[in-house]
Amino acid sequence: MISVNNVTKTYGKIIALKNVSFKFDNSHVIAIMGENGAGKTTLLKLCTGILPFDSGEITVDGYNIINDSIKAREQIGYLPEMPYMYERLTGREFLYYIASLRKVTDAEDRIEEITKMLGINDFLDYEIGSYSKGMKQKISVTSAIMHNPKNLLLDEPVYGLDPLTSRAIQDFIRNKKGSTIIATHSSQLVEQIADIVYVLMRGKVIQTSDVKNLLSKYGSIEEAYFHIKDETNV
Amino acid sequence: MFETTRIVLIENSRSLLSKIRESPILYLIFTGTILFSVFVFAYAFFFFVNIGINLDITLEDIFFTVFFLFLLKSGADIYNNFVKSSSLSYSLSTQVNQKKTIADIFIAVLLIELMIWFSFSLLFLLSLMIFGIDINYPVEYLYFTIGVISSVCLGTAISIFFFSPKRYRIIAPLIFLGFCFQLRQPLYVVLTLPLAIVHATWSIKNSMDSHLFSKRKERIKDKSNIKIRNPIKAFFHRETTVLYRDKLLFSFIFTSISTGLFSGYLFVNGDEILIPEAIRSQIGGFLPSMFMFLGIYVVVMYTSVFPALNLFLNEEKTMWILRHIPVRNENIIFGKVSSLSLCFITAIPFIPYIMIFTGVDKLVFLAFFLVFSYIAGIIVSLPLGVKYVGKKSDIMLLYSVSMILFVFLGIASVVVNLIESTFTYPIIIYVLIILLEIIVLYISIKISSQILSLKYKLNR
Repeated sequence: MISVNNVTKTYGKIIALKNVSFKFDNSHVIAIMGENGAGKTTLLKLCTGILPFDSGEITVDGYNIINDSIKAREQIGYLPEMPYMYERLTGREFLYYIASLRKVTDAEDRIEEITKMLGINDFLDYEIGSYSKGMKQKISVTSAIMHNPKNLLLDEPVYGLDPLTSRAIQDFIRNKKGSTIIATHSSQLVEQIADIVYVLMRGKVIQTSDVKNLLSKYGSIEEAYFHIKDETNV
Repeated sequence: MFETTRIVLIENSRSLLSKIRESPILYLIFTGTILFSVFVFAYAFFFFVNIGINLDITLEDIFFTVFFLFLLKSGADIYNNFVKSSSLSYSLSTQVNQKKTIADIFIAVLLIELMIWFSFSLLFLLSLMIFGIDINYPVEYLYFTIGVISSVCLGTAISIFFFSPKRYRIIAPLIFLGFCFQLRQPLYVVLTLPLAIVHATWSIKNSMDSHLFSKRKERIKDKSNIKIRNPIKAFFHRETTVLYRDKLLFSFIFTSISTGLFSGYLFVNGDEILIPEAIRSQIGGFLPSMFMFLGIYVVVMYTSVFPALNLFLNEEKTMWILRHIPVRNENIIFGKVSSLSLCFITAIPFIPYIMIFTGVDKLVFLAFFLVFSYIAGIIVSLPLGVKYVGKKSDIMLLYSVSMILFVFLGIASVVVNLIESTFTYPIIIYVLIILLEIIVLYISIKISSQILSLKYKLNR
């Protein structure tokens, strides 16, 4: 469970998030939507401990992300929006490197299983620098889920992926235990796998709703998003 | 007109300004180091003029040193701003002629180098003026300025052709460069400026090949040595794999060997080459040890300082990996620093090659001073690299680190010479010094890990 209490994050004079509070419970798939620059990626980076914040508190399964950062990070799997990796390592070397740092005991089996599911296993022995964007995304997804994290934070998880792999990832998320938080622009993805949707605008949460309720009220998440945006004067 | 030139200049200056804003005190120290070193050079000049010693360093020597330095700098700048630039694809995809865009980048690099040249040279002349030395040499100054322009043209051509699929094209500018160094006449460089411009124009005309060639993705397969390691070993393995695949280790070994041979040669013949016969017996004695010192300094800069700084500076886009994994900062630093042991091995060939000239009796001194300098290089570079984690290195940072190390090793070499002349068995003292230095290295690692943590916590 990830808990975000009154967190404010600024980049110089720009306020990225202002007094944001969330509680991401277990057994939920939570989607964060919002326009470009709303603070979605920043929020995920704060939850993983990648970015520092100005005030507030973030805990992951009870561990403070600043004071107990190692314990907190052990509970997290993270897929960044732009999966930059070490280009001179092969895909397999990179995954074993992350597995070593995360102390994954059954790394070989897990890597085999996940890369097969994502259809990247035949390319694991080539340098990452030679991969296409989608292939890099698949390696990055594997590194995020191979240690079976209780909390999964995914930034645009299916962006750049072929339909088959996209479906495989959606199935994985649906069947996974623990909480999964997805930052995305894809209303289709939200409809298919999310239970709850948070709408962020200019660093503030303007709506928290059950996806089923939104679908019954507006017919689609896209329509719901536009209504929420119009109704809110931020 | 010159849109790309303007953008490249803005990008470079804003990047520097943001670093200055982020660490004003550190950059104040860097500026102080630069001012101090220019002032010291001017003072050394004044000193030698006043005591009437002619070290046989001519205007031509200084001209070609400046020429060579700007050749390297412009080559590196063209590589960063053009050959390997990712953001360039935007301007290359507009309706503006691609060659014009690349010419714009060349002009931006030329302006950057000229700005550096004018700043440093005017500062140096000002310092000379303070010491009362006549600086009324406008023609020579013009020669130097044209030399800088010429070196930028050649640096551009060499850099572009080096990364071209048709690498043989590099032969033409290299022959021209060979003539410049062989004739050793600034006037030759000045008069052949149009030829240098022709080389630059020719390279710009064929430059897209280089850009595309360096961006081409090669499928390189490697299946070696894959297993689960403990975190420190995992960091060691990653760093050394990248060093090996980038072929940096071979370049380190080549530098160590060539520096060993070159400084060894000067150790034997330096007096004869540089000091006039009339005063050779009076002041010639210090030169051999100076060449040994300089040789070690160059090797250490290349095999210790640069890799130690880049351990963290290079993590520009991959910081998310280090930040989200559950590994203590100290272990990250220990793992990365341990990879420098492999770089140290590449520095060892320096010793046998210099000993061809110095003889075996210098072995203990050389081995000690190389180890000492190598560790000192890491101690100085590591906290600064961590301080600027994820940021590209700039010339101020590199220059300041090299100056700090130069001053420190200079003092250390005086102390070591004193130990050599005072103690019968200096080896015991050397071992104690190295042990003490290892403790300082440990403290440096601890401080660096604190810097890495503070960088995260201080923003709160």
